[in-house]
Amino acid sequence: MKPTGLVFFPAFDWAISPTHPEREERLLYTRDQIFEEGIMDLHQITEYQPQMAADKDVARTHFCVPTVREQATDAHRISCGGALTIADALMRGEIRNGFALVRPPGHHAMRVSHGNRGFCNINNEAIMVDYLRHHYNVKRIAIVDTDVHHGDGTQEIFWHDPDVLFISFHQDGRTLYPGTGFIDEIGGPLAQGYTLNIPLPPGTGDQGILYVLDNLVLPVLREFKPELVINSAGQDNHYSDPLANMRFTARGYAELNRRLAPDIAVLEGGYSVETALPYINMGIIMAMAGIDFQYLHEPDYEPGLAQESRMRMEVIKQIIGSLRKTWRNRDKLLEAARNTREKFYQKHKSIYYDTDNIHEQQMETLRLCPDCPGYLTIDSHARFHNGFDNRVYCLSIPWQACRTCVQEGNELYEAMKKRHSQHDYIYLQDKHSDHFLRYDCTAGKEIKIEQD
Amino acid sequence: MLVGIDVGGTFTDGVVLDNGEIVRWCKRPTNTKRLQDTIEVVIDDLLTEGSGQEVERIVLSTTLITNLLATGQLEKAALVVIPGPGLNPYELRLADNYFVLQGGIDFRGREIAPVSRSEVRETARVIKRAGIKKVAVVGKFSQRNPSQEEQVASILYNEYSDLDILMGHQISGELNFPRRAITTYYTLITRDHWSHFADEIEKVLRARGILVPIEIMKADGGTMSLDASRHMPCQTAFSGPAASTMGAFALTMDDMTSVVVDIGGTTTDLSFILQGEPLHASKGAKLGGRYTHVKALAVRSVALGGDSVVRLQGGKLTIGPDRQGDAACFGGPVPTPTDAFNLLEGGKLGDVDLSYRAVASLVEDETKVADLAEAVVQEFIDILCQNIREMMRSWEQEPAYRVWEIVNRRRVKLERVVGIGAPASAVIPRLASRMGCQGFVNRLSTVGNALGAVVARPTLQITLHADTQTGTYSTDGKVKKLPDLSRIQMRDIKELGEKELRVLTEEKGMVDYFCEREFFLEEQFNVIRGWSTSGRIFDVGITISPGVIKGFKGVKT
Repeated sequence: MKPTGLVFFPAFDWAISPTHPEREERLLYTRDQIFEEGIMDLHQITEYQPQMAADKDVARTHFCVPTVREQATDAHRISCGGALTIADALMRGEIRNGFALVRPPGHHAMRVSHGNRGFCNINNEAIMVDYLRHHYNVKRIAIVDTDVHHGDGTQEIFWHDPDVLFISFHQDGRTLYPGTGFIDEIGGPLAQGYTLNIPLPPGTGDQGILYVLDNLVLPVLREFKPELVINSAGQDNHYSDPLANMRFTARGYAELNRRLAPDIAVLEGGYSVETALPYINMGIIMAMAGIDFQYLHEPDYEPGLAQESRMRMEVIKQIIGSLRKTWRNRDKLLEAARNTREKFYQKHKSIYYDTDNIHEQQMETLRLCPDCPGYLTIDSHARFHNGFDNRVYCLSIPWQACRTCVQEGNELYEAMKKRHSQHDYIYLQDKHSDHFLRYDCTAGKEIKIEQD
Repeated sequence: MLVGIDVGGTFTDGVVLDNGEIVRWCKRPTNTKRLQDTIEVVIDDLLTEGSGQEVERIVLSTTLITNLLATGQLEKAALVVIPGPGLNPYELRLADNYFVLQGGIDFRGREIAPVSRSEVRETARVIKRAGIKKVAVVGKFSQRNPSQEEQVASILYNEYSDLDILMGHQISGELNFPRRAITTYYTLITRDHWSHFADEIEKVLRARGILVPIEIMKADGGTMSLDASRHMPCQTAFSGPAASTMGAFALTMDDMTSVVVDIGGTTTDLSFILQGEPLHASKGAKLGGRYTHVKALAVRSVALGGDSVVRLQGGKLTIGPDRQGDAACFGGPVPTPTDAFNLLEGGKLGDVDLSYRAVASLVEDETKVADLAEAVVQEFIDILCQNIREMMRSWEQEPAYRVWEIVNRRRVKLERVVGIGAPASAVIPRLASRMGCQGFVNRLSTVGNALGAVVARPTLQITLHADTQTGTYSTDGKVKKLPDLSRIQMRDIKELGEKELRVLTEEKGMVDYFCEREFFLEEQFNVIRGWSTSGRIFDVGITISPGVIKGFKGVKT
């Protein structure tokens, strides 16, 4: 059998700030544990060195303001590159599945990136999905976000894409950052039902989470029939995590990955650096590589931890019931959206960047195309805490775009360039032609975003 | 006068170096059953009657450990492990008599589960009943806290006082529990044999008036004293290829990046010298099919040698992997790559007529002899090129854990091919021109391995792990209290490491080389609990890496 690919990139020389949860120490004990176990010596594991994600790889997914280099430092590009390395190894047929055990994380980064929010600047999984589509022509992909925080960035990026099924389970947004991820968030008008959110009551443990997996996630995946399943593998559902309030165990994580059997897992959050991470990371590697994990547990693990209260189970069952209905009705919902006879769909959004203290206002406009997911424009205005502000206009043409959307989108970009708008930058992200432009309105200069 | 002897699988080479000049050398077949006899023959070849006292240094490299582990005629021993949580310890089954105990230490050296005294006593009884006298006791993270290994060992002693017990923390302070377990176990089962061999060698040499301390070549390209080798016999494995690499180093003595190609009878060993530094294997030597904590040079053995049998079957050319004696040009029975090269080089290596006849025996038509010789040479060079490129690639793609390591990505720019071994003079020029770099080979290439042994300096490496929150540091299998400093800095830890290294160099009789130390690892982590720093963790590594002995400036050719 082919081995499991592993990129271990602990970024021992990078931190958001010295005492920040996202600091050098985060994967230190994980390093100690996996090196002491000698798991890299096993024939079931092949270790890879991460590549650096190129400018173009990032621009295929994000509108980085003002530039890719400004948002994605070397550490971000390597972390993201780790995911791309695993994707390459998988698609070349070298590995049966793979885990990018990398930091910094990415799942809170949205399409437009003005700065760092929720410890993330660029979205590792989303960049990897667009990379897989461009380089390997993979169409249908499912992302299961198992981080305790709602994967709002990944959700936003694939909100209008019916070929990416995004499922996130997390601690209820009323009790935890980022405060979203409720059951009525089910995707854009032309992709309804392809985003599913499971807000779990605080205190949920192994039993509850595995129930969600067995009764919602796995049945939905079986119907969706993705070519690839990706686990956005946060580890902060753990009972010892300092930033959240759940009760998941290392063996629970291993069991989840065994049942989910993701093709690729990418590390996200998880800040219980000593008590949880060394054991959960071992668990994920072992489960993916088909290695027996019955002897894996935290030092203070007690079997009773896995038991769920009746009340909590009732809440979870209700949520699952409601979401199964949404999933069943998705075709009807989509049909109704296409029949509104509106040409465009518009939505105003307000986004807060907690790490960098930025307030962003967005006006999102989607062409309600009868033939494809439609091109999207985002008029974004970011205000920084020091009074500085940035206004950008972003135009994204999906990779599945029809001829009309490609043409209209490109024309709109050209028209925006000529119009003396109040924007600082105008971006064109033509995923259909893999063509990415950035226009600096002040300088009147256009730059094509290349590989490097 | 310096003496170097490399005991290889087929031949044993010896050289005498005096005032930077090779004054004598010899090559003898190896008696694999009694290596000490071979050494006796070679030393008598090298030294004239009564010149033993003039020997200032003597270094041996041998294949004994590799042979011992391959033939498996070793004493019965038990491996007792204290794995704690993690991988299934039963699947790890590293030895026939294998026992898994309760207990557990975590990555910061904290006890996370206690040892069960009754379980250890019961294990002792089972070991006793099986008639086993040797026990290796190895715990996960025992290098961070050896107390459970010690506790288990002392209970075993209490039950059975004539046990020979070796603990994991005495063998390696590096992370990797399975490698520590297997290295401890192999050390335990080979050390009596090795000690016996060491006694015999000592007797042979002392009888010839050689009174200086005897040194043994290690897999890492350095040497250690014969006495030290009695504790760490496994480090002598693969010392042959290491000696060859050091021979290439001694012949060139510069900062260039070279691949060393040591062409033996049945195999060719490839290794690298990167900007003047021999390259080490990232995972340690593989013994008996398992990775160990034996630090070794990165050597790739290709099943292709100067004496490999050349065959032409159904129009398809094959080389080796077997050998049927010498090359035809030296009176051997069958055509070999040596003959093909010899033919094309007009008798550079041996009798050209014999080579011609051997190669001609494979073809019907005499006009095709030269073509066949050319094809053999091409195939030989192709296989070596492919292996060299793969080695370079795998080194470039080795995992890295810091941003700057990835940004400053490794690139090998090969500048030179250095040849060692008898056929090198004919092979290297062609190989070098194919690789697009310089070739280096001279008349001493044939004894490069023994030359490497004679000039290699002693090496030593330690790592030190300090944790200010627990107030301890661990190094070389010992855990000690950190000095009481209010705010320990990296430079304090580095000083501590140097002090430890100094003591070790004194113990090992290599204090002359203390000044050659270099830090290869300096890591510092703040331990943050809540929002403030509650401690610091340091990892420091110091090495006295492979090089040549003091005063050696190169060898006259």
